[in-house]
Amino acid sequence: MNNTAASPMSTATSSSGRSTGKSVSFAAELQSMMFSLGDSRRPLHETAVLVEDVVHTQLINLLQQAAEVSQLRGARVISAEDLLFLIRKDKKKLRRLLKYMFFRDYKSKIVKGIDEDDLLEDKLSGSNNANKRQKIAQDFLNSIDQTGELLAMFEDDEIDEVKQERMERAERQTRIMDSAQYAEFCESRQLSFSKKASKFRDWLDCSSLEIKPNVVAMEILAYLAYETVAQLVDLALLVRQDMVTKAGDPFSHAISATFIQYHSSAESTAACGGEAHSDAIQPCHIREAVRRYSHKIGPLSPFTSAYRRNGMAFLAC
Amino acid sequence: MEGEETYLELFLARCAAQDDLAPPRSPLLSPIVPYDVYIPNSSNPETTFNSQLEEVTETSGNFSSVDLSFLPDELTQEDKDQTLIRSKHETEENCKTKSWQSGLPLPSQQDVGLALNSSGGSNSHSHLHPGDADSAQPSPEKPLSLPLASITPMTPVTPVSECSGIVPQLQNIVSTVNLACKLDLKKIALHAKNAEYNPKRFAAVIMRIREPRTTALIFSSGKMVCTGAKSEELSRLAARKYARVVQKLGFPARFLDFKIQNMVGSCDVRFPIRLEGLVLTHQQFSSYEPELFPGLIYRMVKPRIVLLIFVSGKVVLTGAKERSEIYEAFENIYPILKGFKKT
Repeated sequence: MNNTAASPMSTATSSSGRSTGKSVSFAAELQSMMFSLGDSRRPLHETAVLVEDVVHTQLINLLQQAAEVSQLRGARVISAEDLLFLIRKDKKKLRRLLKYMFFRDYKSKIVKGIDEDDLLEDKLSGSNNANKRQKIAQDFLNSIDQTGELLAMFEDDEIDEVKQERMERAERQTRIMDSAQYAEFCESRQLSFSKKASKFRDWLDCSSLEIKPNVVAMEILAYLAYETVAQLVDLALLVRQDMVTKAGDPFSHAISATFIQYHSSAESTAACGGEAHSDAIQPCHIREAVRRYSHKIGPLSPFTSAYRRNGMAFLAC
Repeated sequence: MEGEETYLELFLARCAAQDDLAPPRSPLLSPIVPYDVYIPNSSNPETTFNSQLEEVTETSGNFSSVDLSFLPDELTQEDKDQTLIRSKHETEENCKTKSWQSGLPLPSQQDVGLALNSSGGSNSHSHLHPGDADSAQPSPEKPLSLPLASITPMTPVTPVSECSGIVPQLQNIVSTVNLACKLDLKKIALHAKNAEYNPKRFAAVIMRIREPRTTALIFSSGKMVCTGAKSEELSRLAARKYARVVQKLGFPARFLDFKIQNMVGSCDVRFPIRLEGLVLTHQQFSSYEPELFPGLIYRMVKPRIVLLIFVSGKVVLTGAKERSEIYEAFENIYPILKGFKKT
């Protein structure tokens, strides 16, 4: 595999996990997750390992930034507010996160109404848990919102294009499946980091941090991890699609130099045939996707200091 | 439960005989209650009715055998109504068919429903709203075994081919009632069996009874919430039992404003459903996040019911105030689900 300077992995400051021989690995779960997000029936193990690496690195960086924010406001734990603060710049992702939080509240409300035991437990727990996450989000955004655009997001009912695309892809994927395959697919879709909360916590390894995240923050982190995987798969699928040279494409002769590095000759001949010989996402697709995502293309990109400071663009936010 | 078979037959009959229906019936006539159904075309309406009536009196009798005489005011009034209406029912039986065909709403029909519900107060009317298929089932211990095959439905329904033939079963009913007196929760918790009270955790007594298997939350203001019953009548019966317990402890408990707050039903369509397709085509109503919850949450507008639809084909319906809403919601969703059947 290529490990030139162009690879973003080598520039990551925190340990990648491969060298330290981590005992907790989500590779198997990630393979299932990638299948449910649009990858082939059996995603490659190498791809899963690479995705795990990317997600882990990004989450650690995110946590560190969140810890800084938390310290700034003098809190003892990293809470949902800190993470919301980090995401505030990207409207679409923020809205998606808010929708996720509201859905969680809504789902607990409904499930509570169905089972009488749940209802009792909720009453007994004392605090008013209904719409807890929504309240947190609303209060926080209220406090930091200067122009009113953040609060406007609560009323915003625009269609989330990325989610729409994912839904359509899932629909296409499932249409051709038979009953048994579909059952497997559904099980894969139900996998998430929040289901394996304790394993996720270990994997994240917050011991080096002074401030630890609280429960709601962990929920959001699990969601962000899942979002990162989803984004990676989305982008990798796009990259793979790009690699297939289409007839009539005016720019087919102008493939970038870095692009060619990741191509094996076997793959390109097969791609020219019109059908990729392997359905699974390759690690090279992932790498290319991350490279493109981090690479700010534009007239002023060399001078954008904010981008430089982070060192790594977060896929989830 | 045998009681459920009755509802099933009702629904099947409703769908099967729809074609016979010439004019659309007015909503007032639509409550399809076993006791109230008029069979103009049937071969032996009278005998069926008589047997129904006998069942009615018998079951109503059974119900009053539960000692509720101590409950004052609004409830004894209702007992009077019962006897009055029963006799009315018998005399009017013969003119029913005529009046039905002429399309006139029969007040006695509703009253019968009232009596058979043995529900006092204005809240019983909620049971009689259009489409309420079985507002009358006074006692589930006595299921009806009636030949209902030839019952003519009273509302225009979807044609036979689309009728599901599946009737959702009620799983949980949440109701509230006002005992209308201040209660000393400590005293109740000390003297009552199966009562829990932990004021630090929650400001109410949690009481449970075994028959019907329910749980009640009793507040010091006198308000009470009853959960866990499997039918409206059971919920009411359970609430009354709790009220009696409270009364026996010396409080002047009454039984005001009994209201069903939520009803939960469930059923199985028996085929796998492709939820990805459903969420895409019904976006404005559905939310599906399998990482969070394995079911699709469908918010139906009319009636206002929330359905949880699972891949396996199980459907849970919640948010209903009346049984008819659950049935209606299921009949609405069934053709949609069939469209996304995973072969």
